[in-house]
Parts: sequence; C-alpha cells; structure tokens
Amino acid sequence: MKSQPGDLRRCADVAPLLIFYSCDEVTLEERRQIEAHLAACAECRAQLNQEEEFGNALASMPQAADELDGSGKLLAQYRSELSEALDDLAAPPVHEHWQPFGGLRRWMALRPAWSAALLLVLGAVLGRQVLQWFSANGSASNAAAMNVLAAPRITEDQLSKMSVAGINWSNPSSDPDTATVQVRMQAEQPLVISGNLDDVDVRRVLTYVIANGERFDPSVRLDCLDALKSHTSNAEVRRALLAAARKDQNPGVRMKALEALRDATSDPSVREVLLETLNHDANPGVRIEAVNLLVHSLEQVSPSGPDAGSAEPAADAAPQDLQAVVAAGSSTERVIRALQELRRHDPNPYVRLRSAAALRQIGPQDLQ
Amino acid sequence: MALANDAGRSSAAQAALAAVTSLPDLDERTLVVQAQGGNRAAFEELVRRFDRDVLRLALNLMKRPEDARDVYQEAFLKVYRNLHRFRFECSFYTWLYRIVTNVCLDHLRRRQARPEDQAPDLGANHREDGVRDFFEHQKEHRPALDPERRYIGKEIQARIALAMERLSPRERIVFEMKHYQGLKLRAIGDALGTTEETVKNSLFRATRKLRNELGGLR
Repeated sequence: MKSQPGDLRRCADVAPLLIFYSCDEVTLEERRQIEAHLAACAECRAQLNQEEEFGNALASMPQAADELDGSGKLLAQYRSELSEALDDLAAPPVHEHWQPFGGLRRWMALRPAWSAALLLVLGAVLGRQVLQWFSANGSASNAAAMNVLAAPRITEDQLSKMSVAGINWSNPSSDPDTATVQVRMQAEQPLVISGNLDDVDVRRVLTYVIANGERFDPSVRLDCLDALKSHTSNAEVRRALLAAARKDQNPGVRMKALEALRDATSDPSVREVLLETLNHDANPGVRIEAVNLLVHSLEQVSPSGPDAGSAEPAADAAPQDLQAVVAAGSSTERVIRALQELRRHDPNPYVRLRSAAALRQIGPQDLQ
Repeated sequence: MALANDAGRSSAAQAALAAVTSLPDLDERTLVVQAQGGNRAAFEELVRRFDRDVLRLALNLMKRPEDARDVYQEAFLKVYRNLHRFRFECSFYTWLYRIVTNVCLDHLRRRQARPEDQAPDLGANHREDGVRDFFEHQKEHRPALDPERRYIGKEIQARIALAMERLSPRERIVFEMKHYQGLKLRAIGDALGTTEETVKNSLFRATRKLRNELGGLR
C-alpha cells in the first residue's frame, strides 16, 4: 500500500488507496494527489462512491455488543466475577507439602467407578460403626441428662420459640414405656430434655411439635410420632395425633399419625377423623390407611369377626352395653356407607379396589 | 541514581496525592502507579475506565457472551499479574489493548480450529426478527429508502456478517478496531505489536474480501 508522493497519477495507483482515503487514513500529500486525480477520473469517483456506501452500510450494521449487552448487565456481571477472581488471586496459596494417601488418590482418580463403589462400601461400614457407637454411648449421656434436668419446666414461651435439633432414643428396642427419649431443642438458650413418655415436659414438647407441624421439619415430626405411638391412651397425645392426622401438610406424617392411632380406633373421635380422611384427604395412600384402620376398628367392635357387622343387640345385654352396641352399629353403618361411596367415586383406582376389598372383608351389608 | 531518586519522589508524590484524592479523580498514570504498588482499588478503577471498550470488542468479535466473558476475565487477570512489568513506554491503554487483542486472537484461532464451535449467526437472527433490522432503525433518519433498497440492505448485512466469519482472526480484529472502535491504524499497530503498514495490508485484505462477498449484489 505504500506509495511515494508524486506517484498517484494513474488509476492503478489511486484505486488501492481509496479504501484508506474514505476512512481518513492517508497523508496530507496523498490526499491532495488523490483529490486531484478524482477530479479528473469518473471511474475512480464511482469506486470511491462504492467505498463510501460500503462504509455507510458497515456503520449502520447492528453490533453484537449492542444486541448482547445493550443494558450493561453483562458488564456488571463480568466486573463482579473479575473481582471474585482477583480475591482468589490475592488469597494466600495453599501449599500441600504432605499429601496423605497419594497412591490411593491417584488410583482412585484413574478408576472412578471402582472409587465410587469403594467409597460407598466404606461409608456404609463407617456409618454402621458410628451408629453403634452412638447408641452405646447415648444411653450414658442420656442418663446424665436426666440427672441434670431432673424436673425442667418448659414455658409456653419457650415452646413457641423453640426449634428441635434432634430426637434420640436411649434404647429403642426396650419396653416403649420405659425407653428414654432425649430431645435437643434450639431456643434462645439451647436446651436438652430427656425422660420417658410419662415425663410431662417430654410429652408436652413432642405433642407440641406434631400439633404445630408447620413449624418443624417433617423428619422431626415423624420422630415425635414414633415416640408417642405407644401412648395413645393419653388424651393429650391422642388429641395431638388426631390434629396431625387431620391437618399436617405432609402425607407421610398424616399416615404415620393414623398408624399411631391403630389401637385407639374404638374411640369415636378417632373414627370421625378416619371417616373425614376417607372423604377429604388428598393423598390416596393416606386414604387407604384410613380404610385399613376402619376395617380394623370394625373388627374391634365385633370380636367374633367382621361378619358380625350388622351388630344386632343381644336380648340379654345390660342397658349400658346396649347403648354401646347401638352406637357401634350406627357407626358401622356410616363406615360401610363411606366405603361404598369410596368404592364408587374415589378418583384413585387403588383406593376403589381397597374399599371394595374392605367391604367384602366386612361382609354383606343391607345398606344399598 | 538521580533519575531513580526522581522516580522515587514522583511515586511518593503520587501516593500522597492519591491519599487525598478520590480514585475516580486520579489520572491514569497515578492509578497505574497505585495499582503497581498493590492498591487493589486503584486497579479496579483502571478496569472500570477501560472495560466497557474491552467487553465491546470481545462481544463484537466473539459474538457469544460466554466467550466474551472468558476474554474479558483472562485479559484483565493478565493485566493484573503483569502490571509490575509496565514501564510507561507507551500509554496504559495501548498496553492493555495489546493484551486484549492477543487474548482475542488466541480465542479466535482456537475457535477456527474447532469448526463445530463457530459463532452464532446473529445476522440470521436479525433477519428473522424484523424489529432488529438495522434499516428499521434508520427509517426515521433515512425516509428516502425504498423497499427494494431495504431488501438489498438486508442482503448486504447478512453477507457482511457471513464474510466477517471468513476473515482471518487478525483481519477481523483490525477491521473491528478500525470500523467499530474507531482507532487509527497506528494505534491498532501499537496494540497488535506490528507496523502501521502491516495493519494497512490487513485492513485492505479484509475490506476486499468483504467487498467480494457483496459483489453479487451490485
């Protein structure tokens, strides 16, 4: 492209410079000579027009930068990322002088599938050992906690502000009436209470958790239900279980609450909740559990078997017994009607099948 | 020795000046000196002064935000690591652009080596999206444009976008810096570490290739 001043008389010399002339990249002397040539040469003027038109087209082309970051968001994001990268650079380097298990790590890096399997096995073995260790040591620590917290009195205020960090059993395999439960609570002041289910505070905390399920983790609520299921004879516990079965957001918790009430199905309030569950619970598994429990409850009413579902009062029964039997008969009718309704209209085929099976199990009824 | 003393006094004076002046008010040289002394805030102020142009160049060349981010970050981290080597033999802007264009060249060459990794055809998107057509933007300013001319304009635009992809990485950078960053050929040569004549040749070749792509429309 280099031209000496004085050379620019022929089109062949001027034409290559027109690109630079149009974008103002020629010397003053070149400019003077080019303009002198253009004044006399129509062909070069036409070419210059083309160059300028081309330049205009380029200038008016939308730019990727405008399309991709017209708002400047990318710029702000990249600045932030650069700042983080600079932080990393500024951080003192970590020198690993000693790398334990170097050979093993190299072996694992080269064999990812084997490494994953090995780690899983190790995790399982370690987990088992640690659990055993905890259960062995837990009883001692729980016993100590019982001694320290002989009679803690938890206030309503504490209950309303607490969260539960964990629940442990000292010896879950032993008699549930004597098993010690330890509840670790996080409140303004962390608190650990422990004792068996006869302890008022332990029971209050556990029933509070399941009655106020929305504030606690479902796994904690399930643990509480596990702890309470052996004490459904207690009115306070039963109320809490009924509340959980009716209102808990988690279907697993509702189902567990129903299971816990298995031995209390003769209680009319429990049966009411079961019937309510049949009609209104959104989860088919929970509805099936309610069907099972209702069948179980009918078996309880007539120990001679579900075939005695019509529950005719015996002629020689005492007046109180008679009332109970009549009430039971009325309740049985409601159960059967509910099951028939379920068999016909439940949206879930498994629930319909289970209700049909339950009706067969109960026996022929004259309620159509 | 006297020169060293002068330089030392100058640095001390700049440090003292920086201590009483907010960073955005400091001149480029003082900021560089501060950043060379380990002042992270001064370095970030330098970044803020120049990164808009750097990102614009990267986005226009790479056409993909994630690639532009790589260029942006790699370039400024290189500047940060090598700032102590900068001796004020050229302007900081030129030195910075030398690093940025080298990073861009690396990325473009790597991309050329991977045909499956070509930039998206933004031109095609624009064609589908009538609102973004550049002649639409020009409507108010150039009411004389008739439909035929607008159609030809779309064709030119699409062909230019396609032809840009076919330029060599160096030609693309030169073309971009000249036409869209508005740099003089001498400055482009400084940034690329080459002569103005070499840059002129690259620009000439790039323009010819693009013009040839448009040949069928004329």
